[in-house]
Amino acid sequence: MELALEIHGLRKSFGSTLAIEDLELAVPRGTTYGLIGPSGAGKTTAIRMIMSILFPDSGALRVLGRASALEAKDRIGYLPEERGVYRRMRVSDFLTYMGRLKGGARAAVITRAKRLLERLALADAWNKKCEDLSKGMLQRVQFVAAIINQPELLILDEPFGGLDPVSVRLLKELVSEEHARGATIIFSTHVMVHAEELCEQIVMINRGRKVLDEPMSGLRRQYDTRAIRFEPLDPAADLAALRTLPGVERLQVTPDGCEIRLTEGTDPAAALRAITATAAPARIEFARVRLEDVFIRIVAGGESSEESHQALRTHLQGLGTEVARA
Amino acid sequence: MSNRVLMVARRDFVATVSSKGFLVGLLVMPVMAVIFLLLIPRILSSTGPQIRGELAVIDPTGSVLPELRAALSPAALGAAAASNGPRAIPPGGPPMGAPMGPGPGMNPGLTPGHAPPVLTIIARPAGSDVQQEKSWLIQPPKQEPRHLALVVVQPHAVVRAPDQADFASYDLYVSRGLDDATETVIHDGLRRALIASRFKASGMDQSAVQATLRVARPNAMIVAPAGEQVARRGLSRALPFICGILLFIGVISGGQLLMTSTVEEKSSRVVEVLLAAVSPRELMAGKLLAQLGVGLLILSMYVGLGILALAQFSMLRLLDPMLVVYLVAFYAITYLVFGSLLLSIGAAVNQIQDAQSLMGPVMMLLVIPYVLTNFIGMAPNAPFSVALSFIPPANTFAMMARLASDTPPPAWQVLVTFAIGLAAAAGAVWFAAKIFKIGLLMHGKPPNFATLVRWARMA
Repeated sequence: MELALEIHGLRKSFGSTLAIEDLELAVPRGTTYGLIGPSGAGKTTAIRMIMSILFPDSGALRVLGRASALEAKDRIGYLPEERGVYRRMRVSDFLTYMGRLKGGARAAVITRAKRLLERLALADAWNKKCEDLSKGMLQRVQFVAAIINQPELLILDEPFGGLDPVSVRLLKELVSEEHARGATIIFSTHVMVHAEELCEQIVMINRGRKVLDEPMSGLRRQYDTRAIRFEPLDPAADLAALRTLPGVERLQVTPDGCEIRLTEGTDPAAALRAITATAAPARIEFARVRLEDVFIRIVAGGESSEESHQALRTHLQGLGTEVARA
Repeated sequence: MSNRVLMVARRDFVATVSSKGFLVGLLVMPVMAVIFLLLIPRILSSTGPQIRGELAVIDPTGSVLPELRAALSPAALGAAAASNGPRAIPPGGPPMGAPMGPGPGMNPGLTPGHAPPVLTIIARPAGSDVQQEKSWLIQPPKQEPRHLALVVVQPHAVVRAPDQADFASYDLYVSRGLDDATETVIHDGLRRALIASRFKASGMDQSAVQATLRVARPNAMIVAPAGEQVARRGLSRALPFICGILLFIGVISGGQLLMTSTVEEKSSRVVEVLLAAVSPRELMAGKLLAQLGVGLLILSMYVGLGILALAQFSMLRLLDPMLVVYLVAFYAITYLVFGSLLLSIGAAVNQIQDAQSLMGPVMMLLVIPYVLTNFIGMAPNAPFSVALSFIPPANTFAMMARLASDTPPPAWQVLVTFAIGLAAAAGAVWFAAKIFKIGLLMHGKPPNFATLVRWARMA
């Protein structure tokens, strides 16, 4: 398997603050990786080190087979979180300049820039100055600058922040197209829905450490066996009776039925039988693990110890009861 | 040099020279120079009303008054005005630094084109009471004729008192509001009248004495193996300072623009977008190169104007073309030293206001050598001047001033200065590269010099 990115033991500190600690990562070519984590977790620092904008204190990385991104900048597209433009520059000049810096031929850069702007409903912006565009329009222009050189590796740091739903949809389409073209995509986001929708693999960083590195398909297959979603056959059924069943810790009524939380140690199969015996089900299932739940458990759960990280990993591998402790 | 460096340089250069601020700034200095050199002397010499009024004179000697009438006659004043006109340019041109328009000691009231004063002399009896006569000077406003001044010639103004080495002079009482120009006209007239009276009283021939005292100074000829050459004494007095100004203007213009553009790129957050395409080193090199070009553009404009001015006065042959070559070379070195420092400041701060405290010491390092060029030009081979030629960052200014003087330094000293300058420039670029790499993405509290040094160690 050819890797687009390899990171071994990457470490970076700013003064006494450890921003990234012993990061290990291997991103195969052609995959889409989501880098998630709370603000200040170290995502942007990690990305900046991948881009050779910041340099690690120790560790090694290889980007597109090279010892550093500096040797492969023409093959990488990057949309930073803190992005700007030359305000007084025309959009045409800005995109041409960025494309030329990336090693593109002038005519090819102009052709592609125009086509991409058209895709993003910005054809009229070609001759406008950047300062005359709205924030959302500028973000789309910056996105065009990131993919103008048809990169082999596309790194997007919070690409959808502040965009309206239509723009988000357009950008997602372009990201998918880049992926379909064969580009490897790494993007960081706070919005779990975006990560779930676009990524094949999820990497979570918390307090400078990697706490999760799992395929999205695996996450989707995982169930939380302490959470049961129940939809009764009879909408008028008395759901309060379910509260009295053994092992039920909590019951929350939802528009379609209810969500039942089991106490720790309860046999899930026995609980399913007891519920269906009490009220005929139209649908009954264990709740799927959502990325958002994982994120919240790690971040808001105050977990920082190796044990709790391991517990989460174990849970994601199928032992759902371990999650309950988190 | 990588293609990306050239692309960054090209963009920055074009963005700078096409901005309105730059174009206005570029034109302001030449326009100011034209105003100061040409218009202001003309304005000063052509304005002001004609001097007209009465002058009361008490002359106990009896010999000064007739001479004063002659000295302040319309014919004599007209002749004095004519002699204050533009001087004929001597062969080889006028001495550099000679002011245009009325020279030192010249009376702005006695210039060509300016109506000569009309002064009516009223003789007062020799034994008049001075206190009483003073009241004559007090008159209602706008009353004509104006009572301008009362002159009281002292008794021994023409013939010395037996026990005195010097002649006595005169007392002058003036009306309120009498301007300096009118007072100077009166003094000049009295000076000429007293000198003429003293010559007559002593029985000497004034014109013969004046001719005896007059010794014309020739233009010195430098005799060298390559041939004879007119010594450019006037030009050499001004040239070191001019070279200092040119270095200063070029460096400060390029350096300031470099710092400003870096701060702008940092604060607008475009810098990280750029760093996705170029390395910090390439970005820095491109920016340094761009503003080096901008500084050279400014420098060539001023040098071009200077050459045109020399050509205008037929003095072009007095300028050694090698001096221009040295100027460009030493400018590049000085720019790299100061430009790098200003660039690192620009990369370290978040907004231009934060840069002020860091810029202070750098500006001092730039201004002091520039001010010293004038003194170095006067004593180009003094130990201080020679020593300063080898101490960066003053070395380029000192050497430029010495090269522009009449006694340029030996070639080995120029080479040593050049080598030291290149080493200093390399050191400054190295330091700036480290600050640049770290500072560009740093936001928050503006750093101090200690922080910059820490960053340089970290990088």
